[in-house]
Amino acid sequence: MKKIIVVLTLFVSFAASAVNQAFFDGVIIANTNQAIGSATNITNSITKSDQQAAKANFANLVRDWKKVETTYLLGDLNEDYLDTPRYVDIFHGNNEDIKSQLDLIIESDDDLTYALYKHSHKTINALEYVLFTKDITNPRVKAIALIISKSIASYLTEILDGYHTHQAKFLKSEQFASAVLLNTLVAGTYKLKEWRIGDVVGLSKKYKGKADNRRAEYVLSGNSINAIKAILQTHQQVINSKNYKDFGDIAREYKANAEIDTAISHLNKSISNAKDMVDSDLDSAKGVALFNATSQLMTSYYIALMDRLGFVSKVLDADGD
Amino acid sequence: MEINPLEYLLNPNKRIFWIFLLSSLLIALTYLWLNPREKRINFSKKLWLHPSAILDYGYFVFMAFFKVLVIFPILFGAKEVALWVNAALLGEYGYTRLEGFSYAQIMFIFTLSLFIVSDFTRYWLHRFLHTMPMLWEFHKVHHSAKVLNPLTFYRVHPVESLLFGLRYSLSIGLVSGVFIFFFGAMIDIYDILGVNILAFMFSLIGSNLRHSHIRLGFGEKFEKFLISPYQHQIHHSKHHTDTNFGGFLAIWDWIFGTLTLSKGVGRLKLGINSDDMKNFGNFQNLVFFPFFAIYQSFKKHFF
Repeated sequence: MKKIIVVLTLFVSFAASAVNQAFFDGVIIANTNQAIGSATNITNSITKSDQQAAKANFANLVRDWKKVETTYLLGDLNEDYLDTPRYVDIFHGNNEDIKSQLDLIIESDDDLTYALYKHSHKTINALEYVLFTKDITNPRVKAIALIISKSIASYLTEILDGYHTHQAKFLKSEQFASAVLLNTLVAGTYKLKEWRIGDVVGLSKKYKGKADNRRAEYVLSGNSINAIKAILQTHQQVINSKNYKDFGDIAREYKANAEIDTAISHLNKSISNAKDMVDSDLDSAKGVALFNATSQLMTSYYIALMDRLGFVSKVLDADGD
Repeated sequence: MEINPLEYLLNPNKRIFWIFLLSSLLIALTYLWLNPREKRINFSKKLWLHPSAILDYGYFVFMAFFKVLVIFPILFGAKEVALWVNAALLGEYGYTRLEGFSYAQIMFIFTLSLFIVSDFTRYWLHRFLHTMPMLWEFHKVHHSAKVLNPLTFYRVHPVESLLFGLRYSLSIGLVSGVFIFFFGAMIDIYDILGVNILAFMFSLIGSNLRHSHIRLGFGEKFEKFLISPYQHQIHHSKHHTDTNFGGFLAIWDWIFGTLTLSKGVGRLKLGINSDDMKNFGNFQNLVFFPFFAIYQSFKKHFF
């Protein structure tokens, strides 16, 4: 009982103490700003027709976008922003074959303003295809790449503006803020272990026993592990950072050391597993170990979520009549 | 783990939390003011110091210890069930989030669902305790009370206590697991002092009078929806033990044909049949006689 009260208090207090302006600025805003910077850099490289620099900057954009995506909670603050991430990234969100559509657009001479009419044509996935399979010295390819990178930068700026406009809603309610943040972590961990690792290593329900590296998120650019690392680093920013009072600090203040240590331990294990991996390792034993570690991380978040509900303390005597 | 029977008075999750006792007392005093003829029995020493009542007091202290030391450690919790349900749904349907509901709406639906499902399972377990011969042997412990007082609520055999604990874990865990699957951490309940607001409100309106001799009914119309204290006392009478199984809500009794309204029910003879009553006259028998009775019945049927 005492343990549950401690953890319950921890989660409520987390919002009160850790989800404050320093946390919001240091994680949510800082990551979005960094992603806007990466999108700007890639736009500059494309403008200069420097494909190598553009490819290098793409890796940075992947890293920084994943950080924004991992703690994306703007849709919970204002539902107008629920779909914004899908305008930037269609991984597991869209079944259409954008590669053949982009090929057709490149080969045609239609006005690009109209040709690239779909959101999916202007996503990070489309940019990867263009940068890593086409030649951006070709004026039409370059123009397409620029439209995409500017679109991504524009949506990231929209996200930043949205956070500034709606941050009060996040900061004013402890209960709401902790729920939203925990949901974001849980959702992100599920997608990480099931889609980004499980589908590749053949451990997801959909692809059980059928490992295939081609299902990796950024198979063309080899940035899949880069994305996974960025996601895990963002979890570290939320639960185990040295720069501001975070979730772990609050947990310790309330003596819930064991609970937070379990989550951090699973996170560290995941980070350690991913550390020396490259994309081609995903369908190997290393990928299996990473899948298991992230599964445990997800479970530890769900346990935290259950504790937040304080099951024992909210129902009257379980005896009969 | 802390063991302190007095904690029952201070813990809002307990039936005899002091606020619930106080509200019941106020309702009882008002009732007696309006029905002065019933003062005699309710204030009588014979009632409060009846051997059956004294047995209730002692048994309550025993069960407070026994639950903490024996029952709780072997029970799996609602949290484990919720984790399992959520994991099973995740495995079957993948990550799912229902959008379009506000936090307040989700809280309202979750609070209501927990209350209704909990009350529904409580009805059925209580009914099974009466209709299944083996379970009835354990539930006789509760019905062997010759007089009623708020502590009679705790005159429950450990096996029954275990079953109600399991019922709680399964029903609350199931509802929570489903809601967590659809809404993640965006769920919580409306509560008062940490208790489901609906359970708290219904407990305020005389829950401790269910086990008392205050014959408070709610009227014909209301008693189809809410179990009144008198309806529960009727359930404790020898001739009506097969009716009024409901906890807070009477709708389950109404729907499933086990409802008896207060109107028209005369004098109550509490307890079970005389032959059985003598088997539950002391502390040891409350604990061990049900096992003996089941053994005897088993021997009679199979040997």
